[in-house]
Amino acid sequence: MTEAWLEPAAWLIILPLAWASVAFLAGPGRGARLAILALVAQLGLALELAADLTQRGARMHAVGGWGAPLGIDLMADGLSAVMLLLTQAVALPIAVYAQAYFAETHHRHAATWFWPLAGFLLAAMNALFLSADLFNLYVTLELLGLAAVGLVAVGGGTAQITAALRYLLVSLLASGGYLLGVALLYGAYGTVSMTTLAPLAVGQTPLAVWIAAGLMLVGLLAKTALLPFHFWLPPAHGGAPAPVSALLSALVVKASFYLVLRLALGPFAMMTGTAAGLIGVLGASAILWGAWQALRAQRLKQLVAWSTVAQLGYLFLIFPLLAADGLALQAGALQVVAHGLAKAALFAAAGVLMRATGRDTVEGLAGVAGRVPLTLFAFGLAGVSIMGLPPSAGFLAKWLLIDAALKQGQWGWIVVIIVGSLLAAGYIFRVLRQAFLLAPEDSHFQPVPRRLEWVAFVLAAASVLLGLRGAELVALLGVGS
Amino acid sequence: MNRFTRGLAVAVGVALAATLVAALLELPAAAVYLPGAVAQHLAQSGVEHPVTAVLLNFRGWDTLLEVAVLLLALLTLLTLRGSEAPVAEVEAEPLLQGLARKALPLIILMAGYLFWAGAYRPGGAFQAGAVLAAGAVLLHLAGLLPAWAVPGRLLRLGLILGFLVFLAVAAGLLGQGALLQYPPALAGNLILLIEAGLTLSLGLVLAGLFLFVTGRQA
Repeated sequence: MTEAWLEPAAWLIILPLAWASVAFLAGPGRGARLAILALVAQLGLALELAADLTQRGARMHAVGGWGAPLGIDLMADGLSAVMLLLTQAVALPIAVYAQAYFAETHHRHAATWFWPLAGFLLAAMNALFLSADLFNLYVTLELLGLAAVGLVAVGGGTAQITAALRYLLVSLLASGGYLLGVALLYGAYGTVSMTTLAPLAVGQTPLAVWIAAGLMLVGLLAKTALLPFHFWLPPAHGGAPAPVSALLSALVVKASFYLVLRLALGPFAMMTGTAAGLIGVLGASAILWGAWQALRAQRLKQLVAWSTVAQLGYLFLIFPLLAADGLALQAGALQVVAHGLAKAALFAAAGVLMRATGRDTVEGLAGVAGRVPLTLFAFGLAGVSIMGLPPSAGFLAKWLLIDAALKQGQWGWIVVIIVGSLLAAGYIFRVLRQAFLLAPEDSHFQPVPRRLEWVAFVLAAASVLLGLRGAELVALLGVGS
Repeated sequence: MNRFTRGLAVAVGVALAATLVAALLELPAAAVYLPGAVAQHLAQSGVEHPVTAVLLNFRGWDTLLEVAVLLLALLTLLTLRGSEAPVAEVEAEPLLQGLARKALPLIILMAGYLFWAGAYRPGGAFQAGAVLAAGAVLLHLAGLLPAWAVPGRLLRLGLILGFLVFLAVAAGLLGQGALLQYPPALAGNLILLIEAGLTLSLGLVLAGLFLFVTGRQA
């Protein structure tokens, strides 16, 4: 038994809250250095928690010592550990990136607010992945949504503020639906603890619970930007500063997906069964529509943002395929991790390419191959994972998904997965092809800090190499489920 | 938005409301009865009022994160604000100023009472902070308190102090076995400490939501 005061799950939430506060007090310079140090510790804590769970199985932490249903329980199992590991593993390199990205003086305003907001954002996600209480999850969703909106607005332009406001409205409406659902559940069962609820929710289900499930799921799908709720994502993710886009696209949308999955596996198991086919069809449409829009996008970051809409679609294909063999669940978790690392790499690379060319258009990329080759290599590597080519983690995810569909004889999804991968290849190669063209005579390239390039490369390499360690991730995922 | 979409939105809203009413009418008796559990453990909570016991002890974790939500609302507002200094104030009326000066001590007294009363009757840090913030808004509208520019170090400390105290208590009690696990003998005093910090900081945060915005437009 670990000493109580060293509990890694608790410190994974306390640490980011603390460094966010100190960054607010001390300003961006010291705030950034402290954040990076703390993130190293957080990655260590997440690893320690994962190792501990593998040895001893899932565990609960009763906040206040009361235990559910009176108090709030934190719960850590394999799925939480995978999400926590991904979050810290993306956040640390992105923090290193952001420190260099915001170093110039004209970014002073953005840097001042980036660090406190990012700290609250990470604390919200870690708290969300650890909570086993539906109302507490609502609070973490609010914290996450507000921090994300603030981060979108940090760039300061009119377009960013418009995107942030639209994101805020969607986010609030979605949280409102979720909260109404929680209230109905409390009315029906008298508790908001997921562990107390799960055994009560089987058998005769009152109408209120069906409505609650509907409201909560629709709210969470809107937060995850599943088609037809995707409209807020491209302007918000495509318009924010590169480190913010990376955090939002790689992590934030995954948090609400994680919650959909938790509810679908727990209290709403039989209700999602009914809606699973519909969710799958929406996911399939997102894959095709998102990739099509990415193929047509004129701006580089818009292209990467539309790619997120498409890649999130794969996550929802798992719902019609969820079965006792756990293949679809493993595919979903691997896709979350693979896309998280690859998308962070793509946005980091896009940030470098924008700095180098001085603009955000795909057309303006001509000639960058000779100027920032490492970044372009990173873009290509991350693209390997997005397209789903072996040996990347993206390949493993799509392979498991196809395997699950084959085992259940649901052929239609396989066609969507393959067509989606081909379209992804189309938009990745569109960028690479443009980058290898000769630069026009009048083009100017700005020098870019090497650190930005290396971060993009490390994230991209991780998304590919993780495919070789898929077995460990799958084993961790199996803890406690 | 054309007439069709508007009609559709109204229809969906009415349908949802009707379904909700139908669902609430046939709601079964809940299997768990939490007010009973709260009453049973109230003696160990360190306070006598059930709402304060739930907010700061049984579900104190929610409250800690909610305070962070309020702080974030302010932070988000500050990101939108730019860094220009507030515009000069409008001319004030002496009558209004006189009244505001007389009201201020009462407002502070009221806030102090609400903070103290939270232990045994409706009240507490959120209500006390809201009253303090209202006092600050009143002073501003009367022309006695200028709008706030980008916060300096002292104001930033005030804004975040309550949250930091709460966080430090939550983390410091980990040694007892869990986050926020008050030792029964100290629970009352620790809750009072947290509430005191929150009264000050929530007052400043809520006042800031007004005073940081108004400075730009005046």
